[in-house]
Amino acid sequence: MSDVVVLVAEARPGVGKGAARQTRREGYVPAVIYGAKKEPVTIRLQGNALLKTLHKGGFFTTIFEIQVGGDSHHAIPKAIQKDKLNGLPTHVDFLRVERGALIEVEVPVHFENHEASPGLKAGGSLNVARHVVELRVPNNAIPDSLTVDLTGLEIGDTVHISKVALPQGASTVIDRDFTVASIAPPAEAEAGDAEGEAEA
Amino acid sequence: MLQPKRTTYRKAHKGRIHGQAKGGYELNFGEYGLKALEPERVTARQIEAARRALTRYMKRQGRVWIRIFPDLPVTGKPAEVRMGSGKGSVDFWAARVHPGRIMFEIDGVPPDVAEEALRLGAMKLPIKCRFVRRTDW
Repeated sequence: MSDVVVLVAEARPGVGKGAARQTRREGYVPAVIYGAKKEPVTIRLQGNALLKTLHKGGFFTTIFEIQVGGDSHHAIPKAIQKDKLNGLPTHVDFLRVERGALIEVEVPVHFENHEASPGLKAGGSLNVARHVVELRVPNNAIPDSLTVDLTGLEIGDTVHISKVALPQGASTVIDRDFTVASIAPPAEAEAGDAEGEAEA
Repeated sequence: MLQPKRTTYRKAHKGRIHGQAKGGYELNFGEYGLKALEPERVTARQIEAARRALTRYMKRQGRVWIRIFPDLPVTGKPAEVRMGSGKGSVDFWAARVHPGRIMFEIDGVPPDVAEEALRLGAMKLPIKCRFVRRTDW
């Protein structure tokens, strides 16, 4: 996704634990914009607006135009800290990007044609080794997701990254042909034994 | 039931469970999971009961990952024994579970089956739990 989405933020006066907690108590999420050899800018985002943006999906593959006061920053989300219990965002890191520069992005992997896989039909299960793949891409051509076609895959088959179509100009950050997913045999025998033994 | 194969020491201090989980608070393997919301010891029997409840409901489809391991030996004295004479013998094994910890993960089943399976699994555990699913942010 190379569309730029506008995100309205406010400058955050204080930094540190106390100020960040005060920001959260007021219904905001503290955030920071850094990178491109410029001074970091501490900001705060409206909690509800951030949640809506997150639920639209593709947050980590979207370049945002963050408007802070009179300034605007082009940045991509680099990390989100979440509450361990309720999963709500507690802090967001944004990395400034310059037009056309190569950036490293974590792109989600989606799987399709489950019903066309004989291995899955026979009771095998899809064992996803990587739910996200880190790609090095130009920042104006970040893909929303990578798609893996499961057609014809049998039990024991493996999908390596070389079999996944990457967008133009993209390369993986990991420099080897790593496994993305495999079709694992059904765990029937193992579970059955354990239950039989316990019930006997 | 889960239990360590060998241990450095036979018996352990009681200890306390402070704070939230330091790790293991995000889904790492499956699409759905069961998150602990309270601190508590979860025994090997409870883990096994929960595993059995959810695998049965899933009709042995999909996969299950158990993300906690009972590595704490809990001792007890026999009934009607006077105090003293040293620490009792190992009674059972337990896992110290901090709030936020993902205890079970499952994958390869539809969302409604996953939710019901984990609800049944949670009923075997001594703590409040939350069903969590992977978010594609």
